Amino acid sequence: MTDLAVETNGLCRRFGELEAVRNVNLRVEAGQFFGFLGPNGAGKSTTIKMLTGMLEPTAGQIRILGLDLANDPIGVKSQIGVVPEGLALFDRLTGPEYLTFAGRMYGLDRVTAAERTQELLDFTGLADRTKSLIVDYSHGMKKKLAMAAAVIHGPKVLFLDEPFEGVDAIAAGTLKAMLNRMIARGATIFLTSHVLEIVERLCSHVAIIHHGELVAQGSIDDLRSGVAARHDDGQKLSLEQVFLKIVGGERAAVPELSWLE
Amino acid sequence: MAGVISAPDKSTQLFLVGWLRWRLFVNGLRTATGKLNLAVHIIMGAGISLGIVGFGVLLGVGSWYAIGHGKPALLSGELGLVFLVWLLFPLVISGFGAEADPVSLLRFPLRYSTFLFLALAHGVFDPAAAACLYWLAAMLLGIAVASLSALIWAIPAFAALAFLNLLLNRAIYAWLSRWMAQRRTREILGAVGILLAISGQFISPLANRYGHRALPWVTRLASGVRVLPPGMAAATVTFGRAGTPGKAGAEFAGLLAYCGVVGWLLAIRMRAEYRGENLSEARRPSAEARAPVRAGWNVAGFSPTVAALFEKDLRYLLRNTMAYLTLLTPALVILVLSMGRRGSPHPKITGFVLGSSTYFPMGVAYVLLTVVGLAYNSLAYDGLGLPMLFAAPLRFRDVMVAKNLLHSMVLAAEVIIVFVLVQFVGGPTPPVIVGLTLAGALWAFLMNLTAGNLVSLYFPRKLKPGQMRRQQASGLSVLVSLGVQVVVAGLAAALYFLSRWAGNTAWCVVCFLVLAGITWVAYRHVLDLVSGIALKRREALMAELSRPD
Repeated sequence: MTDLAVETNGLCRRFGELEAVRNVNLRVEAGQFFGFLGPNGAGKSTTIKMLTGMLEPTAGQIRILGLDLANDPIGVKSQIGVVPEGLALFDRLTGPEYLTFAGRMYGLDRVTAAERTQELLDFTGLADRTKSLIVDYSHGMKKKLAMAAAVIHGPKVLFLDEPFEGVDAIAAGTLKAMLNRMIARGATIFLTSHVLEIVERLCSHVAIIHHGELVAQGSIDDLRSGVAARHDDGQKLSLEQVFLKIVGGERAAVPELSWLE
Repeated sequence: MAGVISAPDKSTQLFLVGWLRWRLFVNGLRTATGKLNLAVHIIMGAGISLGIVGFGVLLGVGSWYAIGHGKPALLSGELGLVFLVWLLFPLVISGFGAEADPVSLLRFPLRYSTFLFLALAHGVFDPAAAACLYWLAAMLLGIAVASLSALIWAIPAFAALAFLNLLLNRAIYAWLSRWMAQRRTREILGAVGILLAISGQFISPLANRYGHRALPWVTRLASGVRVLPPGMAAATVTFGRAGTPGKAGAEFAGLLAYCGVVGWLLAIRMRAEYRGENLSEARRPSAEARAPVRAGWNVAGFSPTVAALFEKDLRYLLRNTMAYLTLLTPALVILVLSMGRRGSPHPKITGFVLGSSTYFPMGVAYVLLTVVGLAYNSLAYDGLGLPMLFAAPLRFRDVMVAKNLLHSMVLAAEVIIVFVLVQFVGGPTPPVIVGLTLAGALWAFLMNLTAGNLVSLYFPRKLKPGQMRRQQASGLSVLVSLGVQVVVAGLAAALYFLSRWAGNTAWCVVCFLVLAGITWVAYRHVLDLVSGIALKRREALMAELSRPD
């Protein structure tokens, strides 16, 4: 009935006086690799928390794969995978224990959870650290484990909050390989990242949020041509340039610091 | 480059640190929970303060008597008590508060002297230290009333003792922090600490059994206490009062020597900390054998989700040395009580005249108090993993059911252990006592689980597994738990005595079972509410429990 993997209508979130997310209307089609961009404090993490049921919206509607999150949270959560901001790992478990636990939380039977855990450990290169507690893992290992836990049940939509933050090139390579496999099997990926080069390479579509409002949405090429048309300088713009032009980062003159002159 | 400035002077830095602490305190009161917790602390603090003031008066009178009537041993004993409270109380209760650790300020150009001063100042503002300083002042007052000449020696002696305690407290804190920086050593030290605490309970029974043989050794050991700091401080005062300044001066010099040695030990650690010693959690990477992944557990009668959650919680418990050693104490207490009874030729010496029929209820009561402590803050150790529970397709009811299941199994296992032990050490327990105890425990446990599930969601407090430093549940949680215990104990006692008065204690068993049935209905009702409450409070729960360390 629907081709939309993620759809929000009038999504708002207030924290006291602060309106962190204002009337956001997102449209993410199924199978898209979607980048959700914005400056620090723009409302990216707040939005992703609302989309994954970890934060209640003040107003608005969220539909994931056609299901209303407010009415059917369990149905929605069964079909999505999440790597949240703080990774949400139970760090007093070992890697295999955590993955089998996560698999069973998403409804896999014991045997399937164990089989997939073994495959994921091999894929992420964590198979030789099966006895260490997660608390003793490096940051990159934790990221890979969080990603593995998010995909163990084969979600149709994957939400990733800054998946490449603080990981080295090798770990990033593993994560990208995993994401590409997800896309190849028809899943939708919704990620936030500050590393615009990676977003440009991976994502086909992006949305940009600024001061809690959605200021742009579409394919990267559409945004690029739109910005180029407006600025009329004839050059092919990088995503970073597009981003800076849209959020006004280029226009703002960098103020001087008197004592650093 | 212009504008490079030198580090601010010490007084400015101290002022800034004071301001920082004040702002942290004030900002902590922004939430309703913060305000309520402060209120609870004020109320509880007021009660404790009354005890401290009263004890100070007692110590003051004692000092007056010791000096006025020539009882130096009494003065030495009082100072020894203050010495021990000052050192031990903060270590057990509040000495490991990382939030006041000046190491966190090292990124700033903090002078070493300021760093050292802050470390010591934190020690002075510890509640135990403040109480001990007040007690020393009360003792000085008592001495002043008894003899002004003794006061002249008492002031420097007590000041040196207080300074030594301050240094010693910080030195112990700094060295223990060093050893406890790694999780494994921390858990080992925690285990040793608990075993020491438990072994303390063996002193009385062992004294009853072997006291007469050990007396000469104890006497010899006690004479050695004379050369410890409290003994030296007392000797300084008594020699000074007796008009032998040479001896008094020698004792005082001994005290200063203690200060020097302890200060040197503290300086070693403080220098290392000031240089930025990294006390990290990380272990040296080591090769691990690849092991096949085992399938998760099944728990008969429960959904796979509850089984997986139960498995996770049990693994957490077994990896938390402090928690499961605490859970073992009831069984040990039974052994201790039985030793006291059997070892003493005069059972009244132990303070208890116990029969086999009292061991089982006492043991089960102790078990209950230990286990329900977990139920009132059952999300405490979930920490950073908690958001996963909100992201996963599960009802929070399952989370609480898994936790309650774990608590029930721990309780059942401990009750069985206690029962078996009691049969060995105290003889067979009468069936009616067994019935009464089990029925009462069932009711009390359900009451506590019902209240605990709500309190865990409304007043959670993050705890770190295997850690010995300040780890307290929320003040409100403690208050509710206390209220439930009072209600349960009061009702249970009333029903028991009523049934005895009626001449049929079996009726009490029936009453307990009826109450347990009613509480079961309430428990189920609360479980039905839990998912909604958790969803409504998910932000507050994650803010409290999932904040980074």
